[in-house]
Amino acid sequence: MTTIEPIEPAAWRATIERALASGERFAGAWATERGSGLGWRALLVGEGGTRALSCNAPGGAIDTIADLTPAADWDEREAHDLYGLRFAGHEPMRALATHTNDPAQWMTPVHGDGVHQVAVGPIHAGVIESGHFRLHVVGERILAMDPRLFYKHRGLERASEGLSPEQALPYLQRACAACAVANTVAYAQAVEDALGLRPDRELRVTRTVLLELERVYNHLHDIGAICAGVGFAPGSMAFAALKDRAQQAIAAAFGHRFLFGTIAIGTGAAALDATAADTARASLRELRTEFAAAWRELEFTGSFQARLGGVGVLEAQDALRFGAVGPAARAAGVPEDVRSHSPQLAYDGFAPAMLPQPAGPAGDVGARLRLRAVELDASFDLLDERLAHPLARGVALAGGTANTGSVATTGGTGGGRFGAGRVESARGATACVVELTGGIVERVHLRTGSYANWPALTHATAGNLLPDFPLINKSFELCYACVDR
Amino acid sequence: MFVLLRQLERIRRSQRLPSGDPRWLGIRHVDAGSCNGCEHELGAVTNPYHDLQRHGLDIVASPRHADILLITGPVTTRMAGPLLTAYRAMPEPRLVAALGDCALGCNILGHAPELAAPLDLQLPIDIRIPGCPPTPDAIAQHLLAALALDG
Repeated sequence: MTTIEPIEPAAWRATIERALASGERFAGAWATERGSGLGWRALLVGEGGTRALSCNAPGGAIDTIADLTPAADWDEREAHDLYGLRFAGHEPMRALATHTNDPAQWMTPVHGDGVHQVAVGPIHAGVIESGHFRLHVVGERILAMDPRLFYKHRGLERASEGLSPEQALPYLQRACAACAVANTVAYAQAVEDALGLRPDRELRVTRTVLLELERVYNHLHDIGAICAGVGFAPGSMAFAALKDRAQQAIAAAFGHRFLFGTIAIGTGAAALDATAADTARASLRELRTEFAAAWRELEFTGSFQARLGGVGVLEAQDALRFGAVGPAARAAGVPEDVRSHSPQLAYDGFAPAMLPQPAGPAGDVGARLRLRAVELDASFDLLDERLAHPLARGVALAGGTANTGSVATTGGTGGGRFGAGRVESARGATACVVELTGGIVERVHLRTGSYANWPALTHATAGNLLPDFPLINKSFELCYACVDR
Repeated sequence: MFVLLRQLERIRRSQRLPSGDPRWLGIRHVDAGSCNGCEHELGAVTNPYHDLQRHGLDIVASPRHADILLITGPVTTRMAGPLLTAYRAMPEPRLVAALGDCALGCNILGHAPELAAPLDLQLPIDIRIPGCPPTPDAIAQHLLAALALDG
């Protein structure tokens, strides 16, 4: 059960400051709208688990915490643009979701001799999601980068409001195809948390297998994308083929190349009998052998390897400061992985895959590449073990404590329930929170690994050469759809 | 896989392209607010399994080089402008392809104020590729048929 604690608006900053000082980390924040009143909530993660803090925003304003934890910068800007919440002390408040024609509204002011701007997107040269980058450069050196996303904002969270949790599920799934399993498992966990349901062993195992299959095809894709980022066609083609093989195996087992429709609330929506599990296991073993061979080719291609070192460096202290998650954080030496503490899934005894010393943690493109290879091995191991047995649908049973009335203490609407779920996607910690009233979704918020990592990517880009930007971008390989929602 | 490719060849031949018809078409992709599924599958069409290029279809970097504007997503308010800019930048004759159910206006998920008018009210759609997302095979099949459309 995730608790939600009401905080007096005047004590908001001090409470967050105290939590951060005691070792808790910021894991997302979201605005709420009840009648004419605005509310503001934050999710904190610590050794003791996850908890949420809640406060009202009298007059639509609240103190900023972005200076205490830069990880909250985007969350505050989003709430400002989409909910009209004002943050005292957040200066300047740059536009994030609102697209104005005035560059001063959203760009970092960069001045000096020879400084000029390179504008990229929203439409890119290849098959890439829509988003705009404004690179401030001198010669070929990038001084700063301003990403402008939300071109793909579909208002999925708003569209989910007023629906039943089951009706809202497709909206969460369609936030991003490549993270569909991670996002919907986080959502299902949040609803189950709110309703006091606990997944049984079967449901935990099946969801874990689906999450790892999603990670396998994404990591194979991301390795290929890094090859493409330096124009190394043999690597990019080899890994594109491996990714397709993974998706073919996934479709053969579960009927959809992106595993759509495999996650439900309170129950399983996918199963494999002994024969199907065996077939999937054999396909993955074959894939693993071919992955190992393709990876060896990459390791011994000097011209490729020479492009990766010291590029797009993210240091551990910056990864922590900006709230980086997933492979980006682990490649920087931060051993954070939601799978280490996922009692709602079947990651018994999981330890985050880290790069062996002295190879890491360099926090550069090469480190992010190698970390994915190490994680692929761990995922293949886990899948091989789990697919030795058939997978049952499973069910989530009453047994947890329902959060009845916990939202009512802060929002004032009565009878509300709150729940939170956290899952490690291929891009990192993904959090989903729901507030239910009378069995209806009153608010749902999804903060994906991609969302968490954009500020870190922006930071890691500065100081690099302009032609390396696509490579740095690919080494994080963040989704835009996941961020824009 | 190879059976499928042979079948695609048969489809292409059966359409009896006159010798003067184009043997190459450039495709400019615009993501107008997709979930990224259509992008993954469009990317897969150029992987070694599907290898669309050998049939004379390729993804090009600029709308100026494109014969087909291929659109994914339900058209968000923020992408409507860039989409029309890309369309207007294309030389004529030009074709418009809607890739995936969202671009086709089916089962669109989203908050109405964030979405622009449906694609078929904004541009004339010549090629319809249904699916959520359409598989690489389906995308290849529909685009190959388009080779016979142009001319």
